[in-house]
Amino acid sequence: MGQAFRAGMSNSDRSTDFGFEKVPWPEKAARVRSVFDSVASKYDVMNDLMSLGAHRLWKHFTLSLTGLRRGQRALDVAAGTGDLARGMLRQVGKEGRVVLSDVNARMLETGRDRLIDRGFVGNLECLVADAERLPFADDSFDCVTIGFGLRNVTDKAAALRSMRRVLKPGGQLLILEFSTPAFAALKPIYDAYSFHALPLLGRIVAGDAASYRYLAESIRMHPDQESLLDMLRAAAFAEARYHNLSGGIVAVHRGYKT
Amino acid sequence: MPATPVWLAALEALFNRGLHSSAQALVLAKRLDTTALRLDVIGVTSIRASVIGARLALAGPEPSAMEPPGERVDASISGSPLALLRLIGGPEGRLGNRRNLPGAAVRVRGDAEIANGYRQLFVHLMPDFEEELAGLVGDLPARRLSQYARGAFKWLRSARRTTGENLAEYLQEESRDLVNTTELDEFLGAVDTLRESVDRLEARLTRLELRSKAPA
Repeated sequence: MGQAFRAGMSNSDRSTDFGFEKVPWPEKAARVRSVFDSVASKYDVMNDLMSLGAHRLWKHFTLSLTGLRRGQRALDVAAGTGDLARGMLRQVGKEGRVVLSDVNARMLETGRDRLIDRGFVGNLECLVADAERLPFADDSFDCVTIGFGLRNVTDKAAALRSMRRVLKPGGQLLILEFSTPAFAALKPIYDAYSFHALPLLGRIVAGDAASYRYLAESIRMHPDQESLLDMLRAAAFAEARYHNLSGGIVAVHRGYKT
Repeated sequence: MPATPVWLAALEALFNRGLHSSAQALVLAKRLDTTALRLDVIGVTSIRASVIGARLALAGPEPSAMEPPGERVDASISGSPLALLRLIGGPEGRLGNRRNLPGAAVRVRGDAEIANGYRQLFVHLMPDFEEELAGLVGDLPARRLSQYARGAFKWLRSARRTTGENLAEYLQEESRDLVNTTELDEFLGAVDTLRESVDRLEARLTRLELRSKAPA
């Protein structure tokens, strides 16, 4: 994982990955925030362009796994512009409640405005919160999702523990995240696309190549399917498993709180 | 642990929709809470089914000999796909009922009560395809499509039966490669008569032999 967990070290002494760069532990959150501040306005357009629309299918599949019913409560961590939250709002209905949280206020504002424009009011809450320290009582949610957010979290193990804490017993965590292609033949094409096409698209459409270079690098530094599965088990999630999507470019990891 | 295929997730979602619309299934799920079953579909895949918080979770494929650390199964059922389908589609009852165990094709290991609980749960969770289709295309088209599908299945069953009967008739009456039941019965009856006659002849010959050896 590249993150230091040596006993006796303070956070300021530790270093962590920011793409391929090593940065001091406390610095990562601020740098991630600045990346998403920069891309917030073009985030959805860029998602469509970068994934050729496939992100909608990945999110649709994730939503099909929530098992949410009317009246239940869900939390979307790193909610961004609220794609997963929108689906969950439909699943829980007026009687339910969906909370969107993100460390980036600008992304969250964009997501909240978009959901309100689509008529979702009354059963929706938004708050700026860190995934590592979620400000909710224990056993609060039937389902917690985090879509394309975990790789930006500094202390992933702490985030997993925090998300487990707020889940009700029997509740499910769903992690939708870029991962490692399952077929070796796919890797050179994927690498060429990530390190050349993505920054170019970022420069042309969003006027920001660096942020999209970070995106490609952060995906490479993110734990692969099996490592993340081990992290879920280490965080005491039961029945942990994953589904590969688009040949492992993206994976959905799942685990239950018992 | 290898990736769980997407089709298994779709099946899980389908089953869970059924779970919350059936009171009996919910009662069973509560009874099976935090238990796990391994379903070995021989030659196809191995699936781990578990119940957590009134929700069915399916994962796989799993190597039969290995289990994820700390994730043991309480029971396992293995069998051919057809045998397992017959087990689920069979009449209500317990696993111990021989009618529900097609020969030795299904093997149950571990806690039989839990295995039976999962069997009953799967029986309750078999999806109503017309209902599922109605969610996609609407009630009327779903009804009409279901009628067509039922008609097609009925025609297929009847075509299979008729083809079998015609083939048997051709092989028995035209090509004479097979004998029909009446001829076979006659032949077997004649064999029995012949054997009895031979036995009688043998007994008579033995008696004659003994008489000829006897002192005058």
